[in-house]
Amino acid sequence: MKIFFTLFLFISINSILLSQTKISGKVTDQDNSPLPGANIYIKDTYDGTSSSADGKFFFSTQEKGNALLIVSFIGYKQKEEKLNLKGTEIHLEIKLESDSKELGTVVISAGSFEASDENKAVILRPLDIVTTAGAQADIYGALKTLPGTQQIGEADGLFVRGGSAYETKTIIDEMVVQNPFYSSVPDIPSRGRFSAFLFKGTVFSTGGYSAQYGQALSSALILKTQDLADQTLTSISLLPLGFGGSHSQRWENSSLSSEIFFSNLAPYFKIQKERTDWKIAPRGFDGSLNFRQKFSKSGMLKLFSSVSLGDLSLNMKNLDDPSVKDFFRQKSGNYYFNANYRDIIDDDWTIFVGASYSYDKDKTDFNTLKLTDGDNLSQAKITVTKNIINNSFLTFGGEVQNTVYNNKYEVFENKVNEIISAGYLEADIFFTNDFAGRAGVRTEYSKVLNKANLAPRISLAYRVGREDQFNFAYGIFYQIPDKDFLLQSNFSGKIDFDFERADHYILNFQHISDERTFRVEVYYKDYDRLAKGTLYNSYPFFQQLSFVPFSSAGKGYAKGVDVFWRDRVTFPYTDYWVSYSYLDTKREFSNYPTLAFPTFATPHTFSVVAKYWIPEVTTSLGLTYTFATGRPYFNPNNPEFLGDKAKDYNNLSFSLSYLTSIFNSFTVVFFSVDNLPGFRNIFGYRYSTDGSYREPVVPTVLRSAIIGLFINIGQSNPY
Amino acid sequence: MKLFFSILISFLLIGMLKADDDKYINAMKKNLEKLDSLSDLNSYLDAANNFERIALAEKDKWLPYYYGSYLYIIASYMDTVKEKKDVYLDKADRLIEVADSLQPKESEIYTLKGMSAQARLSIDPMNRWQKYGAEVNNNLQTAMDLDTLNPRPEYLLGTGIYYTPEQFGGGSAAAKPYFENSMKKYNEFKPANDLMPVWGRRQVEEMLKRIGG
Repeated sequence: MKIFFTLFLFISINSILLSQTKISGKVTDQDNSPLPGANIYIKDTYDGTSSSADGKFFFSTQEKGNALLIVSFIGYKQKEEKLNLKGTEIHLEIKLESDSKELGTVVISAGSFEASDENKAVILRPLDIVTTAGAQADIYGALKTLPGTQQIGEADGLFVRGGSAYETKTIIDEMVVQNPFYSSVPDIPSRGRFSAFLFKGTVFSTGGYSAQYGQALSSALILKTQDLADQTLTSISLLPLGFGGSHSQRWENSSLSSEIFFSNLAPYFKIQKERTDWKIAPRGFDGSLNFRQKFSKSGMLKLFSSVSLGDLSLNMKNLDDPSVKDFFRQKSGNYYFNANYRDIIDDDWTIFVGASYSYDKDKTDFNTLKLTDGDNLSQAKITVTKNIINNSFLTFGGEVQNTVYNNKYEVFENKVNEIISAGYLEADIFFTNDFAGRAGVRTEYSKVLNKANLAPRISLAYRVGREDQFNFAYGIFYQIPDKDFLLQSNFSGKIDFDFERADHYILNFQHISDERTFRVEVYYKDYDRLAKGTLYNSYPFFQQLSFVPFSSAGKGYAKGVDVFWRDRVTFPYTDYWVSYSYLDTKREFSNYPTLAFPTFATPHTFSVVAKYWIPEVTTSLGLTYTFATGRPYFNPNNPEFLGDKAKDYNNLSFSLSYLTSIFNSFTVVFFSVDNLPGFRNIFGYRYSTDGSYREPVVPTVLRSAIIGLFINIGQSNPY
Repeated sequence: MKLFFSILISFLLIGMLKADDDKYINAMKKNLEKLDSLSDLNSYLDAANNFERIALAEKDKWLPYYYGSYLYIIASYMDTVKEKKDVYLDKADRLIEVADSLQPKESEIYTLKGMSAQARLSIDPMNRWQKYGAEVNNNLQTAMDLDTLNPRPEYLLGTGIYYTPEQFGGGSAAAKPYFENSMKKYNEFKPANDLMPVWGRRQVEEMLKRIGG
């Protein structure tokens, strides 16, 4: 009763007191520049206004007593001010702090190139990878146009900053891929197994990468798979080397994509004469399944599975007796499965759990010898990220990788079962919007080495303008010796190696705007404890060298400068980038008798990639030119080890994509030519045992051309 | 006595609620009337601020969020600073998500989602068509399914096709039926109440004039 009365009185009084409070002031940013367009209002009321061109504002309110004034503006942190409204005019000077999330902050990026649609300041877009001439839609081919990589035409893999291909690891959704390349034949490189279209983000790190990744001395290629398929879509592709199709089905919160491709290069080789004497031209089958399920707001489950089978055979020259030919046949099978789940819990916690399995087997016949080479990797990983304050966060987790290497030579079987367990802890700290650092530590234990390691890593970034920043990184990186060392030493008794080690020091400056990118990076890499020893099954095998016992006494260094420039605006419809790498490196490893400039490195590498779009005929033209100075090769007649150098390498590739619609279906017709001018490239020489005869190592064709068709069934426009 | 007070309080409360409702409708109307006279970027951002204030004070009304979002999408087309375009659209998307949670399965909201994706696409079509192209189509298709009489999704679809090269089934001839259908719907369209969206008619008329139909 009393309450009712009070309430009644209160309501009445409230409506009687209609006098107003005037509120005025000015909104500025941290540098006192006026901010026009900010929204200024009393919380839970309509009362408010926007700041004018000079940042000033004025409004009045009929509210009384305690109130909360809110000032908000896009790109700035919202500010609240407690007011006591009692009719007297209030004047306020309000300073807004920029919100790093919206206007961007310094990005920790020493050593890495990122291709993504999500981040604004990136060097490449995912599409750039598939539209680079000469790359043949292979991720690794496109990455070879970036500084820090070597142009190696006779072996697969990425050779980064003086490192061997073994020192680069491919990581898909946080987990290492055991065999990212198709099985290869001596002196013929193979391409990457995974289509560039599977990934929405690529980080190619040429050094100084995060403590979340290990077992790579030089480089990590970190790939993030696509989320839900954009739409239900069926497409087919036709090439002279095979045909395939794919279908994606999209439901509200899930999607399933499948893809198959049959290849047989026999018809293609009838038109395009190869230097290689193929008996069975490469043929194979590839299939993949990709499932995505979204849970609640932020949970995403990803399942990916792929299978590939291949078969080929060829005759190889026998250098010791030109009258006979060596017969080589390889049947290969690969299976890969990756399952992972990521979710955000309570806004602050991100959890990632993943598991993967890969199985790889190559059966090789060499004349009458039979060899089987297999390995399988099972791994599990868990990573937890906790947001602390602002953009700073803490990441920790662990992983276990169990690899079984299996080797069979005639009747002799050899098996090594390796388990690597690792834990890591890392903090990303934003001291200000312009200064950030990442400090982490990784520790690993290897079962076969029976040793543990501790690898601290640090990366700093300092922004000097909106688009300019300096980066520095230092870190220790470990890797167990290549599997051939493990298998052969296991066979002869005992595995006695240490972790191979590389210390990275990186300093870079970069300018990234929407249209132009400039980046220069200097680095020093110190190698230690590299595995030494004579491996009998390695290729190329320098048998004239004296026998080297197994040890971890190898060492070396690599230092150099990488320069990158990209420009998308100066010439209309033209996008081009230029890379230059200077490299000085020496190493003593494997059966090298001394420190030497290795066969997979050269001092100067230069490349230009240009893309030109002709809107009138919806055609895209691409040109890629690459130059590299000659690399050392082994000549048993030269007393100086690796004292000979092959001639310089030149390549100019051209590609054309015509986008059109056939029978109401969006279609891309593409045509590409590799080595258009027909440069006679020689990668090196192979010598007979007595050194009296040599054969040049050359690409399988002088000039290659390919034409293909890609059709999105029943869809007339690209979207 | 008790009863008397109860009745009195009830009347008072009803009166207040009614007044609140009137206040909301009046404020919305006042701002909606201004929509046609907006000219420069700042006037659009001002209007977006006005709707956002109403949205935040009301909390459970979807329309002020809707109009705030709509104005930010237009602002993203108007601002000439390329980096800012996505920032406006981030804001527009946040507002439309709130509207969607307050009023699920609303055709107008899906229309706006499609419009936002279209704006994203136009910033960098070469790199974005794959992702946002699908988003434009999916959202506008949903908008049409939810309300077959809504003229706006077809207007937006038509605009997308109009600006697509002829080789991919775009161009004015392909876009024309969309504008014509949309116009038919505009002629019959009756908004459910004074506050519901009515925009787009003038633009369709303009497009039809340009195409020559």
